[in-house]
Amino acid sequence: MTDPAVTVRDLTKVFPVPWRRQSVVAVSNLNLRIEPGEVYGLLGPNGSGKSTTLKIILGLVSPTRGCTQIFGEDSRRVQSRQAVGFLPENPYFQKFLTGEETLRFAGRLCGLGGAQLNKRIDELLELVGLNKARKRRLGTYSKGMLQRIGLAQALINHPRLVVLDEPTAGVDPAGSREIRDLIVDLKRRGITVLLSSHLLAQAQEICDRVGILAEGALVREGHLQELIAIENQTELVIADASADLLREIESVINRSSAKLVERRKSTTTLERLFLEATQNGATRLRGEQNDTPPQ
Amino acid sequence: MKFSTREDLPCTETAPRHRPFSSGRILAIASNTLTELIRLRVFYALLVFALLLIGSSIFMAQLSFQQEFQILKDVALGAMSIFTSVLAIVATARLIPQDLEDRTVYTILARPVPRLEYVVGKIVGVLALLGISILVMSVAFVLVMYGREQAVVRVTLRQMAGAPPDQVADALRAIRASAFNVNLFPGILIVYLKACLLAALTLFVSTFASTNIFTIVVMAFVYFISHLEATAREYWLQEHGSGLVTRIFLALVALLFPDLQEFNLVDDIVAGTAVSLGLFLKTAALGVFYITIYTLLAAWVFYGKEL
Amino acid sequence: MTRIAGALAILIAFGAIKLPIEHSLDAQRRREHFAGVQFNLDLREKIGQLGFVAALSGFRAIVADALFIQAFTAWERTEWGRILLLFRHITTLQPRVLLFWDTAAWQMAWNASVAAMNDLRQPRLALRVRAQREYFALGRDFLERGIRNNPDRPELYEALARLYKEKYRDHARAAEYYAKAAALPGAASFDRRFAAYELSYCEGREREAYQQLRQLYDEGPQQRLPTLIARLKFLEKRLGIPPRQRIPEERTAPGQQTP
Repeated sequence: MTDPAVTVRDLTKVFPVPWRRQSVVAVSNLNLRIEPGEVYGLLGPNGSGKSTTLKIILGLVSPTRGCTQIFGEDSRRVQSRQAVGFLPENPYFQKFLTGEETLRFAGRLCGLGGAQLNKRIDELLELVGLNKARKRRLGTYSKGMLQRIGLAQALINHPRLVVLDEPTAGVDPAGSREIRDLIVDLKRRGITVLLSSHLLAQAQEICDRVGILAEGALVREGHLQELIAIENQTELVIADASADLLREIESVINRSSAKLVERRKSTTTLERLFLEATQNGATRLRGEQNDTPPQ
Repeated sequence: MKFSTREDLPCTETAPRHRPFSSGRILAIASNTLTELIRLRVFYALLVFALLLIGSSIFMAQLSFQQEFQILKDVALGAMSIFTSVLAIVATARLIPQDLEDRTVYTILARPVPRLEYVVGKIVGVLALLGISILVMSVAFVLVMYGREQAVVRVTLRQMAGAPPDQVADALRAIRASAFNVNLFPGILIVYLKACLLAALTLFVSTFASTNIFTIVVMAFVYFISHLEATAREYWLQEHGSGLVTRIFLALVALLFPDLQEFNLVDDIVAGTAVSLGLFLKTAALGVFYITIYTLLAAWVFYGKEL
Repeated sequence: MTRIAGALAILIAFGAIKLPIEHSLDAQRRREHFAGVQFNLDLREKIGQLGFVAALSGFRAIVADALFIQAFTAWERTEWGRILLLFRHITTLQPRVLLFWDTAAWQMAWNASVAAMNDLRQPRLALRVRAQREYFALGRDFLERGIRNNPDRPELYEALARLYKEKYRDHARAAEYYAKAAALPGAASFDRRFAAYELSYCEGREREAYQQLRQLYDEGPQQRLPTLIARLKFLEKRLGIPPRQRIPEERTAPGQQTP
């Protein structure tokens, strides 16, 4: 039986506050299990203990009680992070390095080197679309570019587990969509993804399972569809229905013990509308430019 | 980003095997630290200032070549000493606190990097920076000294044309004796070692300091107290009449602080005193010992630090 | 906090190990003529707070140089008292720099003494001579202290010999110090000759001087300089050296044709 990707057992973290009697309990008796290959969302409001939990899993902070493991290895041990990639929130990178130097540094820390590392850097820069900016310092990168270089460095060592802390925070809808597509593809390749977010709509689209933290404790956990399903309600989406058909359906419902809760038009999402509008606009503009007679 | 097809993604190869100790990781962090420090504008400003100081010393004495050479040596080695000491403290003070403040330490330590290697990599980077600085300044000093020496030799030969050969030889010997002296090289190495010691001590202080400024202020105090450690030590070891509080204070100074006077050999080296091999090796060994202890202590304190 | 306390405890324990090492290294440095300065209140009063701090921090050389430059400014203003004070500070800070001792002695015994002798504000000759002698003594004092701090360097012995010769006209002392200089490694080639020359002017030591000069003469043409030949001839006459033992008349100077 394979080890779970991440195991959190009875985890408690208390931060002592100097000069005060009361300490801060950041995480309280947390138990989690993330299976290999799944996308797990750790959700919660600010101050719920998400970041602390991620830091403990990554061995950056030690627990007060309990333990965490990555693929069966105690996460306090350095080797547990060999197959882990981490994208921090508001990417914390050294602004004096170029994009290429950042990846090279990350690769060397993971034991990569030589031609293998050079090839990997080229692949990842191509992948995240930063080839042209590879020689520019990170201090000149936009927020979206920093996020992309962050993703690239998280993937540099062919990780089996990728930890993403607020991966789409501050990124435009197009970039956000691309990151979500990446996460789906990572999952398809069998890579486990642990992401923390408070953008619930985005988490809803990609997570298999979620855990909701509040005040350091896990208040809900489970498969997403099970959690958000309203047990006693069913949705039917019908295209091209006539008024007569709709009246007949309503009367069948009224004759039964069921109750019609709501009838409304289906809606798209604002994100899809935005993407269609911006992509169509860009296509029309390119067409007009092609049609413009030469001067 | 184009993630539209599976083929766009690189193959999921396995991560390289973890090695418990890796000089490659240390060198990666050292090289990264060196890059960070070299790209600091203050480094260039300080270096240019030091080089100008070395070059300008030739204008400071116009009376005799002995005076000119003496002042050139004093100013050059003094500039090296000041510059490397200041750089050691200022550059090192910001390393760990800056990483903690910017949170770039997360991206490094989230990798399979032991905290010991992180700390060692940082100090190696600083030592490399100090080494490069000393090298640049030494080259500038040797070039200026050689140029002036040759100019004085030419003038002397012109003035002593027709003089007996032994007098000419004496005159040239006097010029060369007051100019460059190979004993200056051990002196320069000791200056470098002192700067490395200060860097290691600064790194240790920075692991528990709250801010960059705090570290620099503490190190300024430590710098001056350490120059008095020898006085405190001798007084504590010999004096029996002083009170308990005084003796405890002197003992703490003697035990806690390094004796930086041991590394102030250059003042006498520029005066022409030769450093014996035994003294040089013992001083160097003491310096290496201090650097190692402070680095290990820094790693130990940093190991328990909540990030 | 526990780790910081632990680190300090380790430092103290390490301090117990390093203490005897530093003590022994310090003793070795002093034996090898390093660290010739005592940092005490006396020094702080002499060179001021800033100078003291700079000197304490390992920049004695630069502080000494700064004072040296000030001394030259004082010389241009003929402020002899200030020059004396400055050179006392300078030689305290850098006792191993021969230049400072030599320059201090030169300023006192040559420059200040001449200024005192020519001081028109002092009409009495006796007082001017007395002031002159005091400056000689100050110059001699600098050189003697310089020699105590640098016993293995010939330059200060040479300077002291020059002072005895030119200022005190004490040829015996001059000879003594030239001889001491000549015995040290790195001595100038003329020290032995000068010692013999000075000896040749000492009443009752002509024989000794003659032997030294003759020994030099016999070393070869490089020593047969006009002064040496002249003094040798003088002593040959004075001592009644038999003609066959005297240096040949025709060899009066190197490079000249035999008559």
